[in-house]
Amino acid sequence: MSGIARGRLTEERKSWRKNHPHGFVAKPETLPDGTINLMVWHCTIPGKAGTDWEGGFFPLTLHFSEDYPSKPPKCKFPQGFFHPNVYPSGTVCLSILNEDSGWRPAITVRQILIGIQDLLDQPNPADPAQTEGYHLFIQDVVEYKKRVRQQAKQYPAIL
Amino acid sequence: MASSHFHSTADIKGAKVLMVGAGGIGCELLKTLALSGFRDIHIIDMDTIEVSNLNRQFLFRQSHVGQSKAKVARDAVLKFKPDISITPYHANVKDRDFDVDFFKQFNVVLNGLDNLDARRHVNRLCLAADVPLVESGTTGFLGQVTVHVKGKTECYECQPKPAPKTYPVCTITSTPSKFVHCIVWAKDLLFAKLLGDKNQDNDLNVRSSDAASSSENVEDVFERSKDEDIEQYGRKIFDHVFGYNIELALSNEETWKSRNRPKPIYSKDVLSEELTQQNGGVDKNHVSDDGLSVSAMVSLGMKNPQDIWSVKENSRIFLEALRLFFTKREKDIGNLSFDKDDQLAVEFVTAAANIRATSFGIPLHSLFEAKGIAGNIVHAVATTNAVIAGLIVIEAIKVLRSDIKSYRMTYCLEHPSRNMLLMPVEPFEPNKSCYVCSETPLSLEINTNSTKLKDLVEKIVKAKLGMNLPLIMNASSLLYEAGDVEDDMAPIYEANLEKVLAELPSPVTGGTMLTVEDYLQELKCNINIKHREEFDEEKEPDGMVLSGWTQPVSAAENKDKSIVNGASTSDATTAVAESEMDDEIGIISPLKKRKLPDASDNSNAAAETKNNKQLQVIDDEDDLVVLEGNVDGFKKRRL
Repeated sequence: MSGIARGRLTEERKSWRKNHPHGFVAKPETLPDGTINLMVWHCTIPGKAGTDWEGGFFPLTLHFSEDYPSKPPKCKFPQGFFHPNVYPSGTVCLSILNEDSGWRPAITVRQILIGIQDLLDQPNPADPAQTEGYHLFIQDVVEYKKRVRQQAKQYPAIL
Repeated sequence: MASSHFHSTADIKGAKVLMVGAGGIGCELLKTLALSGFRDIHIIDMDTIEVSNLNRQFLFRQSHVGQSKAKVARDAVLKFKPDISITPYHANVKDRDFDVDFFKQFNVVLNGLDNLDARRHVNRLCLAADVPLVESGTTGFLGQVTVHVKGKTECYECQPKPAPKTYPVCTITSTPSKFVHCIVWAKDLLFAKLLGDKNQDNDLNVRSSDAASSSENVEDVFERSKDEDIEQYGRKIFDHVFGYNIELALSNEETWKSRNRPKPIYSKDVLSEELTQQNGGVDKNHVSDDGLSVSAMVSLGMKNPQDIWSVKENSRIFLEALRLFFTKREKDIGNLSFDKDDQLAVEFVTAAANIRATSFGIPLHSLFEAKGIAGNIVHAVATTNAVIAGLIVIEAIKVLRSDIKSYRMTYCLEHPSRNMLLMPVEPFEPNKSCYVCSETPLSLEINTNSTKLKDLVEKIVKAKLGMNLPLIMNASSLLYEAGDVEDDMAPIYEANLEKVLAELPSPVTGGTMLTVEDYLQELKCNINIKHREEFDEEKEPDGMVLSGWTQPVSAAENKDKSIVNGASTSDATTAVAESEMDDEIGIISPLKKRKLPDASDNSNAAAETKNNKQLQVIDDEDDLVVLEGNVDGFKKRRL
């Protein structure tokens, strides 16, 4: 088993504990038997204030492989998440998460989460991942915005 | 010169070597070692001989198929070198039996392995046992031999290894540009969707807008209804994935602004109705009961796997393969995963990939080529293995003579470069930030059935290693983090502290390697756990014994004040320890700066704190011999 992935993830974990952006959550997965698994992180991304995403706290799971950080983690919203660049399975399609284009091993968990937060309100129409979100986004902005606001309400803050 | 030659022969005769792997490289290597004068060879291989090995593993014959590679290789070589000793182990090198002590008995370890996992394992054991490793590998015409000597050259894991290529989902689902993209689509998406586990995530279908309200509609396309005619079902799938889905993709205009637009393909365009009927007729002559030998090529009378099929032929294979799956192998459906040795699966994937390639204007490939791509097969070349085996022996001899200046990493090329087929390169120094070889491995004897995690934290991690806010990890599972943590994790850590080691959520037992890091000090080490029942209450009041070593020091770059601090040290062993510590600090701060820019300001301070702390500990406690010098130094102090 590669120690490189674990070594980096403990660094990420320590760094996050020391300092992280307000409203975000990122922590290793806790299993029912008390195992805390460093290879899967459960995160929350807050919708940006002043956008239709505001008020939503969107759950995102990062799956790290043994080849991290040579390879990016797989980032998934819940299945069926409404966004032009999110696959039906929930997988996020974003250049910095693509091994062949924007991913660099130096990109931190913090940068990933902030990158995805930015993507929420600034979808990339050149790379559609679901037809529904994509079509509404380019054809029916009013309906698109309505759906986004609806979805934000579905994911209120967990206190 | 004469005397050095004499010495090297003596070195060879007296050497005890371990070979890991008796396959392609291993067979050549064992033969070359024996003929070069080596007299005490141990060989580990867990595999048995298969027919497909016989074209290049020349120590094996047809009659040996099914027998242990290590044992047969031994017998074969003893036939022409009866007076030497070869000890075979038909076992996995990762077995507990092959521990650090086992490795320590050898002068050099020679790898002829076929996977990364085992290579990493052997690398770590060689580092822990301080035995030189000659590592090798071949891929077709390419090959390399590298030398890994602890503290002198980089270890096998100092450089990250290229991981197998993966492709972004977007390229596979929407914008393939190479044949391999079509293969991945056919194998990981289409094949998995139709014949694999239905519960697996699958991004094959980008949901269409008109079906948004009822996504099951789209899913239904892939589900065969009970009495649905298999031919009709096949054509429905065909039209959906090669026709409708392409049209759907075309509707996303943005995607195609700078790309070639794909062309939808419908079954009626490439196949006439009666053709399908005819297929069905032909097949009945070729009924076979053996599931894995079912073949669409056989039913359609196509023989040569090296032919490149037309779109029409691919379409017929596609439908026939699907039909055969649903008629001859119905019980496999739902739990199939692609296997390169499954003829029907290869036929299906080849055909599907070729039809998709046609849509996207990508050149088509034969079944033979497609199988190679889908199964990641690179055909082995016997001569490459022989060349590499020869180079391994040359490096092994240099290692036995400790001729460090002559060590070379040698790369075998496919085409001569500057008239050379073999490129020798001087080995690199160890990577100071290598996770594996720059670590200080420690070992801890402890009763894992009666000691609580809390005791280990207090008596070892805090008292001996001088950590204040430790993080303790077993493999990739976190057992404890001191300091403020998330609300839901805190109670788990509190509970873990009170648990006996063997009863933790990921149990800590003999053989476990714990990773211990400090939240603030940037100190990190690995602790090998050894279970021990009883301890001497007077001599070992802690009920646990920590021991270990550090690697030899390469260069003394002592610019830090650690030397000044190391006042107490009067013997040479501890002096070594100081410069070692210094090296470690050098490692940690730049690493930290690179990864965590926002925290870098503290790193020097933190490193210094750590340094002082450690040296003080060494001052005070004799137990901590462990952190000093090399194995020899350690033994000396104990005696």
